[in-house]
Amino acid sequence: MISIFIHNFKYALKTLFKNKMLIFWTFAFPIILGTFFNMAFANIEKSEKLKMIDIAIVENENFKNSTVWKQTFKVLSDEENVNRLFNTKYVSKEEAEKLLKNDEITGYVELQKEPIVTVTNSGINETVLKYVIEEIIQSEEIISNIIQIQINEKLQEDPTQIVNIEQIGMQIYENTIEKLQKQEANIQDISSNKLSYTMIEFYTLIAMTCLYGGILGMVAVNQNLANMSHTGKRIGVSPISKGKLILGSSIASYLTQLIGVLLLFIYTIFVLKVDYGNNLMLIILLTLAGCLAGLTMGVSIAACIKANDNLKTGIVISVTMIGCFLSGMMGITMKYMVDKNVPIINKLNPASMITDGFYSLYYYDTLDRFYFNVASLAIFAIIMLGISIISLRRQKYDSI
Amino acid sequence: MKPNAYDIKREIGVVFQDVAVFEELNVYENIDYFCGLYIKDKNTRKEYIEEAIHLVGLEEFKKFYPKQLSGGLLRRLNIACGISHKPKLIFLDEPTVAVDPQSRNNILDGIKTLRQKGATIVYTTHYMEEVEILCDRVIILDKGKVIASGTNDELKELARIEEKVSVEVIDLEEKIIANIREFSNVEEAEYHNHVLVIKYKKGKNNLTELMDYLRKENIGYSKIYSERPTLNDVFLELTGKGLRD
Repeated sequence: MISIFIHNFKYALKTLFKNKMLIFWTFAFPIILGTFFNMAFANIEKSEKLKMIDIAIVENENFKNSTVWKQTFKVLSDEENVNRLFNTKYVSKEEAEKLLKNDEITGYVELQKEPIVTVTNSGINETVLKYVIEEIIQSEEIISNIIQIQINEKLQEDPTQIVNIEQIGMQIYENTIEKLQKQEANIQDISSNKLSYTMIEFYTLIAMTCLYGGILGMVAVNQNLANMSHTGKRIGVSPISKGKLILGSSIASYLTQLIGVLLLFIYTIFVLKVDYGNNLMLIILLTLAGCLAGLTMGVSIAACIKANDNLKTGIVISVTMIGCFLSGMMGITMKYMVDKNVPIINKLNPASMITDGFYSLYYYDTLDRFYFNVASLAIFAIIMLGISIISLRRQKYDSI
Repeated sequence: MKPNAYDIKREIGVVFQDVAVFEELNVYENIDYFCGLYIKDKNTRKEYIEEAIHLVGLEEFKKFYPKQLSGGLLRRLNIACGISHKPKLIFLDEPTVAVDPQSRNNILDGIKTLRQKGATIVYTTHYMEEVEILCDRVIILDKGKVIASGTNDELKELARIEEKVSVEVIDLEEKIIANIREFSNVEEAEYHNHVLVIKYKKGKNNLTELMDYLRKENIGYSKIYSERPTLNDVFLELTGKGLRD
């Protein structure tokens, strides 16, 4: 049986590597797109560094009471700060609206229960503003966690202090804020890297390449199914089980896909000088999981949808591109909007799982979010595989 | 037969009407791939592939890819892929559709060879002359139903016609044709493209009677000949002349 597996695997690889359409989508297209990204976004980032963004903050009670927000905007708008990002005006809501209407500011931020960013356009400045707000929210959460940990430690040392919990909490809060202020409150420096928003584009590019493996998975199934291809009819009458042949072809597809992603990594790292960080093993793990999710998605589309080859290819490409769009390929604003308003979409979106996995790996010191994304991808792949197996087992042909 | 009846499947070869080969593999690789699904031993497989290539006459095209082959050569490759593992039972579904005469001849010779080597062949075709050349037993299907079966001769006996006479004549009045239709034994008489075709129910002295009549009516003709009905006539007789889908 091993010899049949090797025989099928060898020829599956040959057919994949000689299929020009597949080679284009798997190998060439991501590299071409990466080159365009580099050309487009590298210049934007360079030019953006020289510009300051005019914004307004609605100076309401919430803002006045939030040390983190006040301190952060103070630092980011400090005239003596070489990395100054904002030219900030502290105004009333009416004044902020007026400034925005007159195009004097890019947008304004209002702290209510949650921060609200109001912009009128969707350019780079607006994206940067939204991105910074998201960062502050995350930083605020980090500070809350630090305070909570310190409170817990205090209570473990002396459980009788529970009666003074409110007082202790306030004291710890003030100490933490004071420490942060002394360190110039540069919260973002806590992480190992500063994330360029161009990186998000490259993360989505890798996600797209992983998911394009769906086309390869689809081919692996189609060429073995009697109702999908003429070769499938011939294979259908042979004395080999359909499952074993599809498994061999799928492994060949997976290998081809990994080679495609490897080429993209080599090109972006050595030619485009993209820095993916130092966690090579974890990057490989995420890529393996992402490619598996893409492959199984293609396999399940091929197995479940009764349509011709072209339509199925169109579905795989559409699902991939929509997924990448929602995870920020055509602008990080979309990822921000989806995460904020309909987070479930990106929780189910494999492109977003991959992008978010890279993002968390690059940006956070802890690996919880990274492993959550890897596990999500693995679960996604298992579900897709299960659906495919059920669908393939149900298929019977009256005549071939 | 169940999908996992592998012992039975191993002895079966199928040549589909549509060419079922991989565009990305060359002639040799295509045959090797499909033969490899049946034959594990590399040396045996190599031997079988060479035999199949020889049988369909593709020796000079081993390294060619399907898109480089003509329609006839593709059909021959399609056959080689279906029979290279030396099956005992072979299904051939219209293997000579839209091929050039040379390829067709080669394909028919190949099928005869397979039969001589002991394979049982189920051959589906619309070309009745191929059936007459190749088949020991014939089944005529019309709209999915068996309407006749037997040897060539048995089927010909089923038809109401026993003799067919053709006369090549430049011009013929309708009155003459109508008179001929009144002859005893005449089942049908039709005049098309300067050829009068008369089908007789029985086959004795029909030609003499017709020639005497034409002489009497002073009708000249360039050629006149008599023949036994073909399987094609039988087929049309049994299935009717109405167009099919």
